[in-house]
Amino acid sequence: MTNAGVNDALREMTVGTGAGLDTADMVLNIGPQHPSTHGVLRLKLTLDGERVVACEPIVGYMHRGAEKLFEVRDYRQIIMLANRHDWLSAFSNELGVVLAVERLMGIEVPERATWLRMALAELNRVLNHLMFLGSYPLEIGAITPMFYAFRERETLQAVMEEVSGGRIHYMFNRVGGLKEEIPAGWTKRARQAVAAVRRRMPDIDNVIRRNDIFMARTVGVGVLSAADAAAYGASGPVARASGLDFDVRRDEPYLFYDQIDVPVVTRTSGDCHARFEVLLEQVLVSLDLIDECLDRVDRTGGPVNVRLPKVVKAPEGHTYAWTENPLGVNGYYLVSRGEKTPWRLKLRTASYANVQALATLIPGCLVPDLIAILGSMFFVVGDIDK
Amino acid sequence: MSENGERNVPGKGLLDGLAVTLKTLTRRSTTQQYPDVQPDLPPRSRGVIALSEENCTVCMLCARECPDWCIYIDSHKEEVVVPGAARARQRNVLDRFDIDFSLCMYCGICIEVCPFDALHWTPEFEYAETDVLSLLHDKTRLGEWMRTVPPPPAHDVLGEPSKEEATAARKAAGPGAATAAKTARPAAVRATPRTTAPPAAPPAPVRPAEPRPSAGEPGPQVPRPEAPQPEVPGAQTPKPGPEADQ
Repeated sequence: MTNAGVNDALREMTVGTGAGLDTADMVLNIGPQHPSTHGVLRLKLTLDGERVVACEPIVGYMHRGAEKLFEVRDYRQIIMLANRHDWLSAFSNELGVVLAVERLMGIEVPERATWLRMALAELNRVLNHLMFLGSYPLEIGAITPMFYAFRERETLQAVMEEVSGGRIHYMFNRVGGLKEEIPAGWTKRARQAVAAVRRRMPDIDNVIRRNDIFMARTVGVGVLSAADAAAYGASGPVARASGLDFDVRRDEPYLFYDQIDVPVVTRTSGDCHARFEVLLEQVLVSLDLIDECLDRVDRTGGPVNVRLPKVVKAPEGHTYAWTENPLGVNGYYLVSRGEKTPWRLKLRTASYANVQALATLIPGCLVPDLIAILGSMFFVVGDIDK
Repeated sequence: MSENGERNVPGKGLLDGLAVTLKTLTRRSTTQQYPDVQPDLPPRSRGVIALSEENCTVCMLCARECPDWCIYIDSHKEEVVVPGAARARQRNVLDRFDIDFSLCMYCGICIEVCPFDALHWTPEFEYAETDVLSLLHDKTRLGEWMRTVPPPPAHDVLGEPSKEEATAARKAAGPGAATAAKTARPAAVRATPRTTAPPAAPPAPVRPAEPRPSAGEPGPQVPRPEAPQPEVPGAQTPKPGPEADQ
């Protein structure tokens, strides 16, 4: 990992007492194999001593050709592929795909299915955020929050598993609704799980958020300005921590988000601590949203999917659906030529845009702060490279 | 939650964290004694795919719909002489039904498309191997998992009844009322989909006496002992027979 390449121009340098105070810049590769990048992100850093002068994120080590694979899969198979590029928000990924296909086909999804989708999408958001609430402190040396975060994750995953059968890759969305009806009494058990998580969330808050060491590592570190966030197309918790008040759920509602009040969590300081706080507060907001959606589910009867033809073909045309995924805005540009497979399904993923901001965020920081900044950008490498 | 600019008294954050640790320290540990105690998995858990061989007609739908083509099927045709028939009938005989679980993505599309309920999910998960090539399982192994298939959970009373319940209701209504039963039940649901109260006459979900309509298969009648018994919603609701006559 610490493979240093010395600039060609500086190859002949005098080392020792006669060299004076000039130091040569060192090029340092972080990754592609590095534990703090959750996957294979490579950062090419130019260091001047302990200070980072330039940072170039190099992506693509985990490119799996998802978009190309979509072109040779039918719409049911795409759901299964689409929930894998960001493996922490499988349900939300599926949702974007089916919303695009439904829009193109003009399918009206039953009301009950829409409320259920919202409840499950918010559950998925909490699961995703809890992962980062645990792993981010871990990256900068605090191991304990991970256990608390995973206890909550386990509680919620049991609920997701009961309804969909999966713990990570739910595969529960279908074009026109959901795969099947929820088991009897599920909403009650989901509410109990949500209540248990809400009751125990102060533990994570108390154990780490105001911790002096944690604050010393994160407050004022890696400040992303709102203008930079907007310029790089950053979205989600990362952008909102910089004061960019944008949330697709509120600003361009899909599903039934227009029928409920979606509080948008923002901070203004834009540093690592603010990003962590946004994540923590979004969990609490989402838990309330889940309760509200489950109430609506319990008041809305009817089917959870529509009858589809044996071969689902989207009519010729194109559409763009975007959703507020846990990590930010995910967009799905679907172009169909009337076949049973899309002609093109372009993904706009949140992590890809968020990681680009590292190019401005990291230069100027110290090497020890690097991991703190990297971890606070909350990305999934699969979501960057697709 | 306050903005991060303001700080507490130095050390308070650490003490708050230690208080949480102390609180947790007084609780009992929740270690799951896995090999000794089996985990309690919901019936929909996607552990492994079981094959009910006698239900398979070698239609190849599962192999074709599989996103990564990890199902391998071979078959041959056999002539069956039916007494009294003019000609011998042909039927497909399954020679090979392998699923490569090293490729399988556990999406469940094969199970969804199977028109004859030959494939089922089971929460069984203890089939790890030390060699990736050993994850190719044949129809004997897939058939053995059939006895671990749990009965499906009862559906929520507000939703549509499950396929099994609908079939049972249709059978209970008798052959003449088959279509009536089929149309009457969703109509009852459709009449009140946008109300805020539960439907006045909730569709009567009949608990399937027999989880799968196919008789004579070995497994599903014997659920795992720890499988949660699905609640019977609306036990006092009318039987589907009279409802079909409406």
